[in-house]
Amino acid sequence: MTHKKRLLGWLADAALVLYFLFALFPIAWMVILSLKPADQLFSTYFSFTPTLGSYRTVLGDSEGIPFVRFFVNSLVVSVGAVALSLVVGLPAAYASARWRFKGSENLMFTLLSFRFAPELTVIIPLFVLYQKLGLFDTYVGMVWVLQLVTLPLVVWIMRSYFADLTPELEQAALLDGYSRKQAFFKVALPLVKPGIAAVSLLAFIFAWNNFVFPLILTSSSAQTVTVGALSFLGGDRPRYNLTAAAALVSVVPPLLLALTIQRYLVRGLSFGAVKS
Amino acid sequence: MSVALRDVHKRYGRTKALDGIELRVEEGEFFCLLGPSGAGKTTTLKTVAGLERPDRGSVEIGGRDVRDVEPYDRGVAMCFESYALYPHRSVYDNLASPLRSPRHRLPAAEARDRVGAIAELLGISALLDRPVGQLSNGQRQRVALGRVLVRPARAFLLDEPLSHLDAKLRQQMRAELKAIGAVRRTTTLYVTHDSVEALALGDRIGVIRQGRIVQTGTREDIWYRPHDTEVARAFGRPRINLLPGTVTGGGVFRSADGAVELPLAVPVPRGTEVLVGVRPRDVSLTGDMTGDGHRLAGSVYVTEVLGRSVEVTVRIGAQQLSLVAARSEAGGLRVDDPVRPAVRPESLLVFEADRPERPGRRIERR
Amino acid sequence: MRLRLALRPYLLIAPALLLTCGILYPFGLGLYYTLFDFSASKPQPDMVRLHNYETVFTEDAFWNSAWVTVQYAVGAAAVETVLGVAVALLLHRSSLVGRVLEKILILPLMIAPVIAAIMWKLMLQPSVGVVDHLLKPFGLGGVQWTDTPTGALLSSIAVDVWVYTPFVAILALAGLRSLPTSPFEAAAVDGAGWWYTFRRLTLPMLWPYVLVAVIFRFMDSLKVFDIIYALTEGGPGDSTVALQIRAYLEAIRFQRYSFGISYTIVLWAVVYLAAMVLVRHLGRSQRKAAEVK
Repeated sequence: MTHKKRLLGWLADAALVLYFLFALFPIAWMVILSLKPADQLFSTYFSFTPTLGSYRTVLGDSEGIPFVRFFVNSLVVSVGAVALSLVVGLPAAYASARWRFKGSENLMFTLLSFRFAPELTVIIPLFVLYQKLGLFDTYVGMVWVLQLVTLPLVVWIMRSYFADLTPELEQAALLDGYSRKQAFFKVALPLVKPGIAAVSLLAFIFAWNNFVFPLILTSSSAQTVTVGALSFLGGDRPRYNLTAAAALVSVVPPLLLALTIQRYLVRGLSFGAVKS
Repeated sequence: MSVALRDVHKRYGRTKALDGIELRVEEGEFFCLLGPSGAGKTTTLKTVAGLERPDRGSVEIGGRDVRDVEPYDRGVAMCFESYALYPHRSVYDNLASPLRSPRHRLPAAEARDRVGAIAELLGISALLDRPVGQLSNGQRQRVALGRVLVRPARAFLLDEPLSHLDAKLRQQMRAELKAIGAVRRTTTLYVTHDSVEALALGDRIGVIRQGRIVQTGTREDIWYRPHDTEVARAFGRPRINLLPGTVTGGGVFRSADGAVELPLAVPVPRGTEVLVGVRPRDVSLTGDMTGDGHRLAGSVYVTEVLGRSVEVTVRIGAQQLSLVAARSEAGGLRVDDPVRPAVRPESLLVFEADRPERPGRRIERR
Repeated sequence: MRLRLALRPYLLIAPALLLTCGILYPFGLGLYYTLFDFSASKPQPDMVRLHNYETVFTEDAFWNSAWVTVQYAVGAAAVETVLGVAVALLLHRSSLVGRVLEKILILPLMIAPVIAAIMWKLMLQPSVGVVDHLLKPFGLGGVQWTDTPTGALLSSIAVDVWVYTPFVAILALAGLRSLPTSPFEAAAVDGAGWWYTFRRLTLPMLWPYVLVAVIFRFMDSLKVFDIIYALTEGGPGDSTVALQIRAYLEAIRFQRYSFGISYTIVLWAVVYLAAMVLVRHLGRSQRKAAEVK
């Protein structure tokens, strides 16, 4: 019996390792590819002389692709989108957690439906609209449209955090002599800080990873890394090592952030439907 | 300041929380609101505090309608059942919170003295630097009470402040609570589900049930003249005996099987279905102290020692009658021993029989 | 005073409401456009009423796209569910190996899908890709991964699976960890076998969590865009032109705005219907799970 059990345990671990090989190999392969010199790209698989040349090329803006600029653009529009969503979304999340009223239910439902709406339904009209308004290929235009991604996330998740907070704490603050505004800023807000941190990072990651908005609504000056990385695949000769380097550079920020918010990830990914 | 609620109604969706609350707490009075959970006690307090808005009816503090007055302008202090302490702050910061608010602000030095004095009074001086998360329930309860007492208030609203404490601590705090000068002087509305607490603390007691006040009065009123069987059951341990039966000619109560017959001091029409109530401490085992009492014949069913006294349950026909006797009297009793307990007609309470829609009301002496 | 009190919640949601309207406006505008024949070559469009939709539904291209989309969504969601739950169950045993691996479970999920597709595209290159190299010893060399219709569809699904299996696994693992222990102890005392325990206890109680994951995954993959765009651009031929890809081609590549939007509106209706059915199912399974507990 114990013998059989141990064998099963090994099998289970082996299956896990197999899955993780599948999950991690592509990342490892990108690292290998990005370190290969161009002349060994097609002649070898695992043995080569590593070089940082690809990274130098990608970050040196050669090849006519201003990748550093794209990186900065990603940073600006993602931070901008999250900041706007927080400023606008926190009060709304608070209101809909504390008061049940028709307007808030409608708002919540509309925001949730954004999460599941095909992006192009909004983007194609915006493509036309932005050209008229002069918002095409601008930061403002990108921050606006990214609200489609970040605002529902912020409002839904923060509502679940506020709802977990007993209203009696704020009521106690009112009776202590504080105004409602002070009760919110001094009591409610500090207590949901972990939630705010988690949701900000998650919203940042989603904004950063977005592809279809910048693909259609930017052309160069506000273009982001996701679109930029893809452009290394174009051209008349394959630049696989550069593509790999660009891909890796563009996934570094989300991966680093993701590892710091592991604990809060479940609630965020499920829009507050599952708590851990 | 006096506090009054007039015909206050409040609904949450389909559930009726308050169904016409009428209540008046006089200036300086300690008023206990007693009721089971879900009766509307907390909602009543929060309505007074301005944290809940009544759907109908009015709240008056100091004789002024406070309908449009914000909670922070009502000048009442409230102790929440959940304590509602700020978990991210220290005990000191929790206590000082009211004194830093725009409404009750004191200079820092004065605030420190005041918090120190209150902490001294409640015996929590050693805890001031601790985060609230590290405190025991008893300590938290003191901090919550401290936050109420630390600043002047027109009325105190205390929501089950002792309910989370263990029995010993609860008894100790109950004694301390009324000794605090501020509590003695300030109008206090105290909510509890514990009848012993209500009897011990309340200058007057209000019994609340399903969003309505059933009865208000002094502890004597509630004890000797309960409004109905449920109020009678709520007060006193062991519980009041309630024997079902009918009234025969000559104002005599007779149980259904005829085993118990008791003359009533209250005139009740013949044939009325009633419940006769008698508190276990008003039944005498030997009849010595109540020489003129009416004697009943039964046998011992079960005995249970309660410290110095003994609760004896006597079987009389199909009825059970519990009584409390001194240990010296009841010490030798065995199960099935014959006994002849005595009851005085004056100590009998007569109620209408319980009905499905409401408990039986007490039939008054005229 | 009274008015201010009543208005407070509305004031708090007002900015969000405004921003939402800022997003609803282009949506409404898009809906309006579908009633015209608006395109780059016709900037002064004529009203065509529902003609765009008629064209959509009578076009073979639409039905082809719909079929591709359904295959993709069902295939991806099914594989991710099974694989994700399996990974969660294995991690839940919490062996040493599992505890170490759990920390890196989310990595693929945090990589932008389009980047993931680029990575896989490099690996699946028919002649120089590493996948071909690794599979050659198993007699699977020379497979045209992204250059045959079936291969392209399966490859896209594979990328989706690679990215999103951790999503299902994370939610399922959270579910497993929140299950009450007493039913399992009772089953162990009764001597119930692993399979019986899994089918009668674990699965029904876990199902609501899995279903949340499935709902997200199924609805998201109905509107797949990034992965296919980067991996195959819809090819070869029309074999991987999912609905959003088709909408993109029509609206942006061919600049037939009105017609392109019509595609997305139809897709939106499909997603909405799927959501209704799935959410109702979720409610049922939550009640059932509560019964088991």
